[in-house]
Amino acid sequence: MADGIGTLAVGLLWQRMTGLMDEVAHTFVRTSFSSVVRENWDLAVGLMDARGRQFAQSTRSVPSFNATMPKTLGHMLARLPAASLKPGDVLITNDSWFGTGHLNDITMMAPLFRDGRLFAFVGSVAHTVDVGGAPRPEAADSYEEGLTIPPMHIRRAGADNQELFDLLYANLREPDETIGDLRAQFAAYRIAEERLNRILAEEGITDLAPLVDEICDRSERAMRAALSAVPDGTYRDTLDIDGFDAPLKLCCAVTIKDGTITVDYAGTSAQIDRPVNSPMSFTAAYTAYAVKCLFDPNGPNNDGVFRPFRVTAPDGTLVNPRRPAPVWGRHLTGHYLPPAVLGALAPVLPDRVIADCGSPLWNVYFRGLDRRGKRFVKMYFMNGGHGARADGDGPGCLSFPSNVAAQSVEQFEHQVPMLVEEKSFIADSGGNGRYRGGHGQRMSFRSLSATPLTATYRHERVLFPPRGLLGGAPGAPGREYLNGERLPSKTRVTLKAEDLIVFETPGGGGFGNPAERSAEALAGDRASGLVGTTKAAE
Amino acid sequence: MANGYRIGVDIGGTFTDLVLLEEGTGRLVNEKVLTTPHDPEQAVLSGVASILAKAGVAARDALPVIHGTTLVANALIERKGVKVALVTTAGFRDVLEIGKEWRYDIYDLSIRVPEPLVPRALRFEVGERMLADGTVRAALDEAGMRKVAAAIAASGVGAVAICFLHAYANDAHERRAEAILREVAPGLRITRASALVPELGEYERASTAVANAYVQPVFDAYVQRLEEGLQKGGLTRGLYLMLSDGGTVTAEAARAFPIRLVQSGPAGGAQAAALFGALASERRVMAFDMGGTTAKACLIEDGEPDRAVEFEVARVFRFKRGSGLPLKVPVADMIEIGAGGGSIARIDRLGLVQVGPDSSGSDPGPACYGLGGTLPTVSDADLMLGYLDAGSFLGGDMVLKRELAEQALAEHLGKPLGMSAAEAAWAIHETVNEAMAQAASIHALEKAKRVSDYALVALGGAGPVHACHVARKMGVKRVIAPLGAGVASALGMLAAPTAFAIGRAQVAALSALDLKATAAMLGALEQEGRDLVAGAGVPAAAVAVRRTCLMRYAGQGHEVEAAVPDAFIAAGDRAALAESFASAYRALYGRTESAEPETVSWRVVVSGPRPRIDLAAAPRPAGGSRRVKGERPCWVAGQGFVPAAVIDRYALGPGDVVEGPALVEEREATLVLPPGARARCDAALSLIIDL
Repeated sequence: MADGIGTLAVGLLWQRMTGLMDEVAHTFVRTSFSSVVRENWDLAVGLMDARGRQFAQSTRSVPSFNATMPKTLGHMLARLPAASLKPGDVLITNDSWFGTGHLNDITMMAPLFRDGRLFAFVGSVAHTVDVGGAPRPEAADSYEEGLTIPPMHIRRAGADNQELFDLLYANLREPDETIGDLRAQFAAYRIAEERLNRILAEEGITDLAPLVDEICDRSERAMRAALSAVPDGTYRDTLDIDGFDAPLKLCCAVTIKDGTITVDYAGTSAQIDRPVNSPMSFTAAYTAYAVKCLFDPNGPNNDGVFRPFRVTAPDGTLVNPRRPAPVWGRHLTGHYLPPAVLGALAPVLPDRVIADCGSPLWNVYFRGLDRRGKRFVKMYFMNGGHGARADGDGPGCLSFPSNVAAQSVEQFEHQVPMLVEEKSFIADSGGNGRYRGGHGQRMSFRSLSATPLTATYRHERVLFPPRGLLGGAPGAPGREYLNGERLPSKTRVTLKAEDLIVFETPGGGGFGNPAERSAEALAGDRASGLVGTTKAAE
Repeated sequence: MANGYRIGVDIGGTFTDLVLLEEGTGRLVNEKVLTTPHDPEQAVLSGVASILAKAGVAARDALPVIHGTTLVANALIERKGVKVALVTTAGFRDVLEIGKEWRYDIYDLSIRVPEPLVPRALRFEVGERMLADGTVRAALDEAGMRKVAAAIAASGVGAVAICFLHAYANDAHERRAEAILREVAPGLRITRASALVPELGEYERASTAVANAYVQPVFDAYVQRLEEGLQKGGLTRGLYLMLSDGGTVTAEAARAFPIRLVQSGPAGGAQAAALFGALASERRVMAFDMGGTTAKACLIEDGEPDRAVEFEVARVFRFKRGSGLPLKVPVADMIEIGAGGGSIARIDRLGLVQVGPDSSGSDPGPACYGLGGTLPTVSDADLMLGYLDAGSFLGGDMVLKRELAEQALAEHLGKPLGMSAAEAAWAIHETVNEAMAQAASIHALEKAKRVSDYALVALGGAGPVHACHVARKMGVKRVIAPLGAGVASALGMLAAPTAFAIGRAQVAALSALDLKATAAMLGALEQEGRDLVAGAGVPAAAVAVRRTCLMRYAGQGHEVEAAVPDAFIAAGDRAALAESFASAYRALYGRTESAEPETVSWRVVVSGPRPRIDLAAAPRPAGGSRRVKGERPCWVAGQGFVPAAVIDRYALGPGDVVEGPALVEEREATLVLPPGARARCDAALSLIIDL
């Protein structure tokens, strides 16, 4: 495929594969039953060749899922060899170490067949609100966190594995929602198989491997070229993490050498008996994500991009815990990895990095009885401010490094006996700088339920706020209140009728010296009423 | 209505197109005048005068002027609306700016989000609260509202939007707030969000309401100038405007919610495609409209363009979904991608050819224009491949420079990739065709339709050049190439029926639905629509009513539009509505669910008859006498340059047949007929191409 028409064919086919993944994702979302999929798009869809190499995925997806999917497939095939798979099979697992790092993300893979031969896998990862167990911020091991489904068949040759469905119905709090979502994905896989077969028939292709080789080789070359432009060396950053009982440390060393990049987390705190440990799969995924943002933001995302990339971490640390460490809130560590990589490379790539964002992602789980007396579990996401960059302010309330959309307040109130009293920017929460960090938001929830509700959450950046960069000030730390009283940053509280729980997400860090902020930007700050109006500004 | 005349007007970026139709005879007269961007009505008025003169028709004999406009979309894209204030429920003024909180591009660290149309200083809050079921949690703080109204009066805004939580379920507070505003700040145009969008979703509703307020004064002034101008010119039968979903309404109705005209111009193209599809007896057609900067596609079935209930305008980043302002507006459902004649081609970091989404525009334009552009574009590729002719572009008014195209292609693509300029041109042509074919196919599949079941109608300046190749990529077997594809939108304005769509939100389980109240509500909506249509001069006997309900299974968040069966209206048959929903759902997703169906909102569309346009009866335009103008080499896949006959489109009459490879030229467009394609001229002078 070295000639010109080969170049053309590769480009055209890759375009079509990506389009196909978008189609599969849209089909899934529109037929799903959970708001976490429908409204938050907490999912990803990907295509892998018969050897398990990923070469296309949906455009709008959670970045970490793109990176874990091929690894999860590898774990599945280690137990259920490809040669044993049949048309109509669907494999499933939510194992934290094999999957995305916690039980709540279910990964499924369907082998695709053409003329009786397995030629590709279509897979998806989607968040589910409940996987049984007694997940709580105090969970001391992974068994408390819910049901682990080891790699197995959920469908065999087009028929349900009824025993697994029975097990799920018996263990989940919201089985209809979760299983409805699983079924929506089965339907989406059928579309993928039919369409992919048609594309290959039209193009007269019998084997995907040459195409995948070509796409991956080109991606690898582009990545190596981008890495070669950075001076060889080791660049370091250290981040303070709120942690549970005592603060934790994240140490990151990025070594760039001869067009390769290695990220090592030696020196990071040991794993703890609290659900904030980030299994290696999740650690690798978010580290890879930061590398992609910096060096190849516009290229395709595939196996080749990450060939020059390695990530290492000592066993038994926060970022590479041993089983059965509790990992439910692994994003509370994992979401710190991109800012650590960006922070390390800031001195050599000041034009490309951004200051810290108001994340790890903030969310809250409400549980209780709805108006019809039915038990509900409802998760609500609230994003913090985005970090400022070398050429502009950070947007307010924007998801990073995850990509989770906010749910409509009106929709939420239709589902849950609660009242949202406020969703607004917090004045002076964005870090000052030549460019200002994005503002965080205040969200106030009042219980209208006659029976007690619980609110469970684990939040970071309460002790250590998002850092500014290259002279910029930090953003404001996050806060939680119950009826006006401060709450701990990781807890479960019970809400009586009319109780008010308030969350304030952290603001993004500023970028550059505040004295260099332009007069026009200062005027805008004043007009917005969001800057210099609170005590925090003094 | 013997010998009535109707005039369709479409304002484009460069030209304002007009079509005059003589009812009864079907005679058509076309006119093209230069668009006057600062005062678009000037071109309309001079064009109307000139087309009447050309047709020899007295102004007093003309029927209404029907008009599609990009004024609303342009005001939003160029941010040329008025200063607007927004009033929200206390605690929610920032929702407009916070938006959905997700990133449309996950790898872009410097991501840009669109600026809200209302800055924070002009977003006001007032105490009040409705619950999800429409009951009052907190009464409207009237004193607070008066203070807000006074502040708004002093702020110098030109319009106000009001958007309260759950007002779609109970609009009492929004109405009262409006009354207070009218009293304290008289003379301001006010948009009540729940009146414009009676649906759940506070961010999208506020965004739509604010956009409406933002364009309303601009639109008002424009319509007023236009109406006065038409009156002065003796056209007393009034002005009609095309809505984004292809219906036409009186100017007065359009002025209440101008945001509904955001896709007014493109909707005309869809209506034209519907017309040409009907004339060619094709049940399913896809409008394929490729211009200078973008390409659009719209599916049409039985003369009805597919509709969508939301639209995104003014995308800030590469036409990417999610980077624009969301609008809850009924629209003809189209996809638009950044692929047009002016789209620039380059080599990306992987060494692959990438086309667009940025465009060279008209200045400097493609390299072959010779106006200083040096980067290769789709038009340069089409010229290089022999599809366009250097001497007959725009009827010869603009001479293209092939050597400049060749130089740009060779330098920026050919040399680095080791290809000839012609091979590079083919790579561009194929890449852009693939992008369009894929986008259109996905668009169809998202609606559970197969694009290969459709015939493609080629519109726009670049549409006929690319149509056959794009069609083959999508598995489409037939292409319809109407004569005068360049003025098709204006003709589409005349082909649309007068229609009003009225909606009402009502979230309820189907089993718990109050049938009596629902029937009464649907009756009231229908009457409202009938009154509006009657006001537009449509006799009651000719009115058609279509009722639909947006439904979902309990727990879902996306709705499916189900037809409301007569049995439900007449006898309250819940099962009939459930079955209608199930069949609509099955058609989209290939299955049904066991959960209970819910209604979310109801919609009644009241329309007049579709005007009959008989192009077969139209006298043929004066054309060339020689069919074959000559021969020139054009590129054929897998063969390279092959000699192709150049046919004069104006010399073709009904029944004439052209075999590919051939190039059929008319003033504004060239149809590329690849080998194996066979075109037959039908009675309406459309070329029906079997691939």
